[in-house]
Order: sequence, then structure tokens, then C-alpha cells
Amino acid sequence: MAYANDANQPFKSSGDLEDLTLEQLVNLKVTSVSKQETDLFASPAAISVVTADDIQRLGITSLPEALRLAPGMDVAQINPSEWAVSARGFNAEFGRELLVLIDGRTVYTPTTAGVYWDAQDVVMEDLDRIEVIRGPGATLWGANAVDGVINVISKSAKETQGLLLSGSAGSAEQDAVTVRYGGELASDLYYRLYAKRSDMSDFTDISGKSAGDPWNSSLGGFRADWEPPSPNVLTLQGDYYYSATAQPSVLVGLAPPATTLISQSEYNQGGNILGRWTHDVSDSAQLTLQTYYDHVEQNNGFGIGFVNSYDLDLQDRFSLGSWNDFMWGAGYRYQDVDDTPTFEISWLPQTQHIRLFNIFGQDDIKIVPNRLHFMMGIKLEDNSLVQWDYEPNARLLWTPAENQTLWAAVSRAARTPSLFELDARLNAAAFQPAPPSPPALVSVFGDQNATAEKLLAYQVGYRVAPTKSLSFDVTGFYNVYEHLLVQIPNPTIIQTSPTSTHLLISSTYMNAGAGDTYGVELSSQWRVVENWRLTASYSWLGTSLTPSSDFAHSPDQQCQLRSYLDLPCHLELNGAIYLVSRSSGPLATGFEEIPSYVRADLGLIWSPRKWLEVGIWGQNLLQREHVEFSSQETPALTEIPRSVLAKVTVRF
Amino acid sequence: MITSTRNGQSLGSKGWMAHVIAWSLYFALWCGVGLWARAEVSLTEYQVKALCLLNFIKYVDWPPSAFGGSNTPITIGLYGESKLTAALNAAVAGKAVEGRAIIIRQIAAADDLSACQILFISDSESSRMPGILDKAGALPILTVGEDAAFTQNGGIINFVLKNGSVRLEIDLTAAKKAGVIIHSRLLAVADVVKGKAD
Repeated sequence: MAYANDANQPFKSSGDLEDLTLEQLVNLKVTSVSKQETDLFASPAAISVVTADDIQRLGITSLPEALRLAPGMDVAQINPSEWAVSARGFNAEFGRELLVLIDGRTVYTPTTAGVYWDAQDVVMEDLDRIEVIRGPGATLWGANAVDGVINVISKSAKETQGLLLSGSAGSAEQDAVTVRYGGELASDLYYRLYAKRSDMSDFTDISGKSAGDPWNSSLGGFRADWEPPSPNVLTLQGDYYYSATAQPSVLVGLAPPATTLISQSEYNQGGNILGRWTHDVSDSAQLTLQTYYDHVEQNNGFGIGFVNSYDLDLQDRFSLGSWNDFMWGAGYRYQDVDDTPTFEISWLPQTQHIRLFNIFGQDDIKIVPNRLHFMMGIKLEDNSLVQWDYEPNARLLWTPAENQTLWAAVSRAARTPSLFELDARLNAAAFQPAPPSPPALVSVFGDQNATAEKLLAYQVGYRVAPTKSLSFDVTGFYNVYEHLLVQIPNPTIIQTSPTSTHLLISSTYMNAGAGDTYGVELSSQWRVVENWRLTASYSWLGTSLTPSSDFAHSPDQQCQLRSYLDLPCHLELNGAIYLVSRSSGPLATGFEEIPSYVRADLGLIWSPRKWLEVGIWGQNLLQREHVEFSSQETPALTEIPRSVLAKVTVRF
Repeated sequence: MITSTRNGQSLGSKGWMAHVIAWSLYFALWCGVGLWARAEVSLTEYQVKALCLLNFIKYVDWPPSAFGGSNTPITIGLYGESKLTAALNAAVAGKAVEGRAIIIRQIAAADDLSACQILFISDSESSRMPGILDKAGALPILTVGEDAAFTQNGGIINFVLKNGSVRLEIDLTAAKKAGVIIHSRLLAVADVVKGKAD
């Protein structure tokens, strides 16, 4: 494989290497070529990895910004605390077709279907990697893994020993302080404790006014890993966060009829605790048992919502003769959700209990070992909100040579309707039409008969590594969606409740949407010389969804180029440029066109001592500001400013 | 409803092309810098460990009894499956250090260790490590490991991965027992030095 272990290769320019002194050797940052990278190249899926090195070199401070690096991902910042993240279309503040897991714990909310990125702060230095899979992953990960699955994986406590202090200050964005300490409690029992605080100032809207959207976030947590020589690993981890922001929000009243824009203080807080036991039976057999509790509390300024999740998961992998690698698993999740009803949003029932049971099996059949594999699997899922569903997939993998992989896949996936689409009533606006008409209220209703959205996805991919230092990856996909949930207008009626007589202009969520998306994604990695690496990617997306008025327009084309250069004198010069074609995003008034933009980041890191690292990054260097996406709750587009970020990291 | 942002930031197709060309030139320039400044190298963990092992030879003195003569090759024994084997073979490739040829041997549990001057115990052999260190401890062998409990069990030099670098831990009591002398230059780069040489 192209990324296979470099240790098997004779050293290049060995003359230089012999001259390395012990001092230099012990201070050298080693590059890890993991088994995962080897597996990645020969994987029958559109998978890519954002590494800890990528994140460190580009001075990335949040998870969604890190996802920008993955080929084919559509990441657009809305304001200091919110991002719209999606793959293969359907971009929205809550990317409803994308499942996100942090260390095996789902952060996809059942309330609005999507991820609250402002509640997912992490210590970036402790991340091991982010695995990004475009396309359905429902057979393994279940419902909502429709257009992609993101697995955020942190380092084990063993790998984060010692003290880390980092502080950053930015011209527009980010003042942050991180403290982490890792130690060994007993033989083979490692732990780390961490805390992080970030403060971001507000952005401006396109009229140049402050958008009134500052954000701060506090996070604290721990992770303990017991890694005895025996084939068992035990992990216990947990964290707690509190984040507060102010957001412009719409206040709706009927007497008198008015839609007022106010600045609302909002907060998110929550905590989780997770335990995992991994038992390696043999090289090809592994058993994993994982359980977690997750608590999320959200105050949007109007009311408070709670989600409590209890999850238990089992996964078992073993060989069945020499021809089959079999994997199966089962899981149960119980979630209780409670939302305070307000005039703006009310829920019926106010409290929901979601029970989710799933079982899956997948067989990897080696038709010709190491050359031709066929994979087939299915997940059966029973969710108390909707009918039971099945999510099968079949994949063919052909590796004609060690440096080439060809794959094809057909998969079915489903997205469970959110509680908002099932149970909510949103009073979005109120106004006074010309008299003698009574006041008018604009509302959106959920429908308890809503069923899951369905996707049938066809994908083909090819990877080739012409040389050890150069590789290409191309994927094509064709997605067919059915039963998409869209808002269908109801006849306007006159109502006498909840308050005085008024016109009710409303729409209801129904499974009336359908359509196709298709596209091509290209990426390439090139190690030009030992100390200089380039990564480039391009993606093209076509969409044809009906009714088209219900969907924001995702960018048709995206392109990025990244460069990582190691210089003498302990310097690293890293840069990235992103080109994104025009798109549209929702505002309170409807969809608004967002112009194409080019974003360029450039950073210099200096590590004069083994314990000290100083970095400075310029972000959005080409334009004073640009718009990436928008929020339904705001009246005007918010701009992402040009900024400078400086950061000092100390490790002992 | 469709608006453009202020400052005419919307990029037409000409704007795109200009940006692409400007950046291509910029990266071409960068390419030049990259070729010119090939200073720092990037190595895998085991490439670094292999190079460290070879460096140890320069900074360790064995008692005369450890060798047959002044030209006798140095034998590095490797215990357990490890990526180090490949990395070390690539690094040695017929070279000599301090006038001695280097022989790399894979060692099994029952093997006689007395032919080795350096013994590396892979972390895949954690459970068998105490036993093999007992066996090696009394011989003039520089034992090298990569397990948190390596020096507690009588090993001399331990590799520790710390913040992405390969760091060293040295136990002088164990070195004294084996009769090998470690130069101060090697001690100076170690993070932890335990015990006393005298």
C-alpha cells in the first residue's frame, strides 16, 4: 500500500541521517504511519482523515474548522459559535444528513436533527485524528449516517503524559487558555485532566454593524486508560462544558401583532461519561463493549430543553474460516427529551421517550485474498419514534496491485425525523395585514405521522499511488432520496386560539420531497521533498431536489490546496487556500445568495526548544471579510473577518 | 432577495482565474524554497529508534569480555516482532560503527544471549520481558526497551514516546550490574537518569 510503513524503505539521503546526533534524534517529532493509513488506502469507502499534525500546523481551534480540511466536506461558518457542516449537499445550520461521534458518543441531537457545534468544544492538542467518511455509513453506525459519518478520536491518556499549557490571542476570534496534565496512577494505568476556556468577540453583519454574537466556552474533563500487557484495554472518560452566547432572535406576539428582533442570551451546558472495554481475542478477532451517559441542556433564551441519553453498544469481530471476516453488533439507546413550551416553540408531547434498538452483521468475503473482496451487511433498527427500518450495504473491493484500489458500493440509509419535525409548533412571525383583516400568525407544524427519509446511494472509487510520495483518490456518487421532509403549505384559516381571533398561515412537515444528488470528489497527496508536503482536493456537486424552494443551494464546486513546509531553525511554514463557489443560505426572510469566496490562511510555527512552540497564523488573508453561510434566526448575513491568531504552547 | 456583499466581494470567473494564477505562482516560489531548504527530516518512530540504537554504540563502553577482539562485530539482538527490525536493517545496510561491523539477529526465548552486545526487547513481549531481563542482566549486554516498566524490571535504556518525540530513560544501577559504562554525553540527552554508576 502506498501509505504502508516507511520503516521498510531504505532511508533517503542516508548521509544526512547518519549525521543526526543523539540530541537531534531525541528532539525530532516522529511521524506516525499507522495501520489505519494502510487500511484507509484499501478501504471500500470515501474515507479521509484529518490528522493531529494537520490541526496543529494550521492553528485550528475548533472541530468544524478541522473538518474544512477533509476533501468534499462543506464547512461554512455562520458566526463565532455556529457552523453549517455537511457532505454531498443539504447544507444547513443543522446538517441533518451527517452523523457525528466523539470518541464513540453520538453528538447528533434528536431534537432538531443535527449537531450543535458550539457545544462540541474539545482540547485540540489531545485529538488523535478525525475520520471522515462521505456517503452512507448506516450499516455500522445506524440512522442519520446518510451523507456521511464523522468520528472524532482523541488520544489515549498514555499518549498525553505530562503538562501542557497553551494560550492564544486573536485579533477577531479566539482568546483561549488550555491546561492539560497527564500522569500514571499505577502501572499501566494512565490518566489526563484538562480544562479549556475560550472567548470570541462578535462579528459584523454586511451593513458593518456588530452582529451581537459573542461566544464563550468553558470545558473540563478527564480520561483514564488502563492498558495492561494482557489483551484488554479499559477506558473511562468524561467531560463537562458550559458555553454562552448572545444571538439575535425573533420574538413573536399577536396582541399587537409583531415580530420583534431582540438579542437573546443563550447557553448550552452538558456532560457525559463513557466507559469502553476492548478485548483482543486474536489479531483478527476483537470484542468491544461501550456504554455512556450524556446530558445536554440548552437554553435558547425562550425556554430550556433537556436531552438525557443512555447508550449501550456491543461489537464483535472474528474470522470465520480463512475466507470470511465477520462483524456483528447490537446496541440500545434510551433518550428522554424535555422541552419547555413557549409561545414561539411548543411541543406536543412536551416530554418524549425515545427507545432505539439495533442489531447488525457484516461479512467480508475474501474471494481472492488481498485482491478481491466482497462485503455485505445489514442493520435492523427499531426506533420508537418511527417504524423499524433496515439499512443494508454491499461493497466490492479490487486491489489489482498494491498501489491501486478500485471499489464500488450500494447502500441504503435512513434519517429519523427530528422531534421538531414530529411534535413541534413554531410560531415564526406575526404581522397585521391591511384592515379589516384580523392579525396574521405564520406557523410551522410538525407531523406525528412523518416517517424516515430514505437514501439509496451508488458509489465508485479509485485510488492510486504512482510513487511512494504521490497518491490520488477519486470518488463518484449518485444518491437517490425519497420521502424527504419538506414544509407543505396549509389553507389559511381563521382561528380563535391560542389568543384573539387571527389568520393562521401555516405549513406542515410532510415526506413529500424527493430528488437526486451526484458528484465527483478528487484528492491528492504529494510529498514533494522530505520536508515539504502538498495536499489538494476538488469536489463537484450536482443537485436536483423537489420542491427546490425548500432546500438551500450547496456550493457546486469546492477546491483546496494545503502546503506543509519544514524549514531550518525549527520553523514550519504552513498554508491553506480554499475556493468555494456560490451557494445560498437561509435568513429570517428566506434564502439568500452567498457569493463565491476564496479563503487563504498562512501560519508560521517556531519551536526553539523541545518544550516550547510559538505560532502565528493569518486567517482569511485575501479579503477583509466574507460571508460563508447564514442563520434562519438572523435578519442579515454575518461576515467572517480577516484575523490574526497567536499561540504559545508549552509542554513538560 | 438576492444580494451581493459589499466591497464587490463576489468573484466572477475572471477573479477566480486571477486568484488561481497568483496562487500557482506563489506555490511555485514555495516549491523553490522547499527544495532549497531541505534541512529538517521527518522520520517514523522506529527509524528514530533504530538510529538511536546505532548512536548508543558510540557512547557505551563494554567490558573487554563482551567481545572476542577489537574487530569483532557488534551484535544487536532483537526480541519480539517489531517494526524496528526493518528500520534497523535499512539503517545499518552493511555499515560499520566505531570500526565494528554490525550484525542484527532475531532472538528467541531459548537462545543464548551471550553473543549479543545490545538487546532490544519489543513492547509486544511485555509479559516475557522480566524473564528475559533476568537472563540478560548478569551478562555484559546493553538492554534497550520500550515499556513503561522496563527499567523497574532491570532494563538499562528505555525509549519513551513523549509529545511525539522518542525520549530516553536510563538506569545506571542496571548498567553497572551489566558492566557497561555509559558516557556522560548519552546521559545528558536522557530525560530520566536513575541509580548511580559507582
